[in-house]
Parts: sequence; structure tokens; C-alpha cells
Amino acid sequence: MELQDMYYNKSEYVETASGNKVSRQTVLCGSQNIILVGKVIVQSDAIVRADLANVRTGRYCIISKNSVIRPPYKKFSHGVAFFPMRIGDHVFIGENSVVNAADIGSYVYIGKNVVIGRRCILKDCSMIDDNTILPPETVVPSFTKYGGSPGLCIGELPECTQELMTDYTRSYYQHFIPSRN
Amino acid sequence: MSKSEVKIYHGAIVCKETKIRGDVTIGSMTIVHPCATIIADAGPIVIGDGNIIEEQVVIINRLPENSQNKDDISTLRIGNNNVFEVGCIVETSSIGDNNVLECKSYIGPGIKLGVGCVIGAGCRLTLPETLPDNTLVYGKNCIRKIISDKPPNQNLQREFLTKVLPNYHHLKKSKTAIMQIAPQ
Repeated sequence: MELQDMYYNKSEYVETASGNKVSRQTVLCGSQNIILVGKVIVQSDAIVRADLANVRTGRYCIISKNSVIRPPYKKFSHGVAFFPMRIGDHVFIGENSVVNAADIGSYVYIGKNVVIGRRCILKDCSMIDDNTILPPETVVPSFTKYGGSPGLCIGELPECTQELMTDYTRSYYQHFIPSRN
Repeated sequence: MSKSEVKIYHGAIVCKETKIRGDVTIGSMTIVHPCATIIADAGPIVIGDGNIIEEQVVIINRLPENSQNKDDISTLRIGNNNVFEVGCIVETSSIGDNNVLECKSYIGPGIKLGVGCVIGAGCRLTLPETLPDNTLVYGKNCIRKIISDKPPNQNLQREFLTKVLPNYHHLKKSKTAIMQIAPQ
């Protein structure tokens, strides 16, 4: 299914040489620690807390409105450490979601209003349903769908998930265009 | 930021991007991350020492809908060493010490939190009541139980944030901060 064109105000977004589209209304803390590899969309009012630790995203990531990307912390006997966060390619993060994961693989779909607890690991080709609360340190295996509160496995994903997510994020990027006027 | 009624005590870290309105007092060693919202419409908000308030948290002291009498001022009091995680909304009038409010939890008006309570991620409490000490609320049906051990100490995280946040953010300074250093 072809996606509808989504128009944005050209003055609101900054487009970098590598094709990243970043809204001016975002809060990017510690921007020197953020690596957006290319063709990443960061929509308005998203918060990326790279002041706590490095955040690195792959290609074709979509970070939707009001979502919070926050590196997780772990307590040790002598202090607290925040871990760097890695996000793979072709990852979609829905609106109002809070992501405290340690590692997100590629081809991952995260729905709206999701809370991903501290140091969760989302393997490649996994899906988190809308309104899910994933408890801390959950590992979501490949080709599974998690949902509910607390998040449990509610289904499996087809083998073509990689192609589906690639198509979806690519066409999202292609249809995310500046309004003509 | 409309009026200069914000009192920030010595050692507190309040980022500039925080929205603060009305008569707000922030105790020492409290950390307020950027993009938190503290609104004191109905009366003052007094936040104690050593709290951590993360981004997108809303702490609001709002006028009751049916009250016509604007003179009855109620103070929202928050004790010491509480943690407010990302996106939680607080409309209550009283919070004790050592509580943890996890991501996207909601505490409605009239709910009083005691000491050492943990409100799980996404839990919504709306019925006015007083939660006993060490209550744990969790899951989609807001199941409750009394926990025997206290919520973990947040001193280490606070120390780390006290070191890191000033490197990346402009902080709000208050005039009272200078006065607090003087007495020894």
C-alpha cells in the first residue's frame, strides 16, 4: 500500500547533506554526541538526551512527535553509568513513546505511547504494539510482536518483515516532503 | 518564567528549558531536567531536597473545576528524594519522601502519597485517597501490594547528573542561591 504524502513546513525542518530531516522544534541535548547516519527524520518536540550518553541511529530511522530517546543507566557499587544507545537501520518510533532501551536492532517497529524500560534489547525484525509497557531488561527476540502492560509476546511476524520495514521506512521518507507554498 | 517567584536553593540544578510558572520553591540537590513543566496556578508548589524530575514531567497545582472561591490557596508539597520519570503527571496536593513515579504514570487530584511508594509505568490513579507507605502499583489493572523493601536509593544517579548536566545545559540561577551559601 502506498503511503499518503505528508507535508511539512519547509522553514521548520533542517535538511542535512546526508539527507537527515530534523525539526527545529526538537530538543536535542548534547548534540555533539548524536550520530544520525543518514535519511533520518526527527519530528517536532522529540527529545534526544545525548547529554547522558552517545546516541547513534542507522539509516532510515523515523523518530515521531513527542517521543523521548533516553540512554539507560545502570547502578554499580561505585556509581551510576549511562550506556550509549544504538539504533539500527529502518526503525520506526511512534508518537509519545519513551525509549530507554540499550540496543535496538534493525527493522524494528515501535508503536505509539510505548514505554520501553531501561536496558531493554530489541532484536532485529521485532515489533512493539501501541500502548505497550516493556519492563526493564526485557529482551525482545526477532520476529516477535510484544504488547500489553507488562509487555508480553502476543504474536509472531512473517519472514518478510525485513522487506516490509525497509519498504515502509523508505516510502515514509520519500513521502515526507515540504509543502509547496 | 513570567514572574521571578521561583526560588531555587543552593545545589539544585534546574535547566533553562524548564517551564516554571507561579510561586515555585525548589529545594537543594533537586535536579530538574529540561522540558519539565511546573505550574503553580492555584497556590504555591514546594519541592523538597534531592528529587529528580525528568523531561516531560508535568507537576501542576490547578484550581478545582467547581470551586468559585479563588481565595482558598492550597500548597502542593513534595517531600525529599522522590523520582519523577519521563512523562508522569502530578496533580495531587501532597507527596511524601522516597517515592518513585515511573514513566507516564498519572496521579490525580486528592491522592496523597506516603513514603516509599512506587507507581508503575503507565498506571493512572484518579480516585482521591491516601496511599499507605511502601505501596507498589503496577500493571494495566493497577494492582497494588505492599513491598517490604524500600525503593532503591537515587543518590548515585543524582551525583552523576549533578556533574554532567551543567556541562550541557544552561542552568537557571536564583538570587536566593547566593544567600544560601553565606551562612556557614
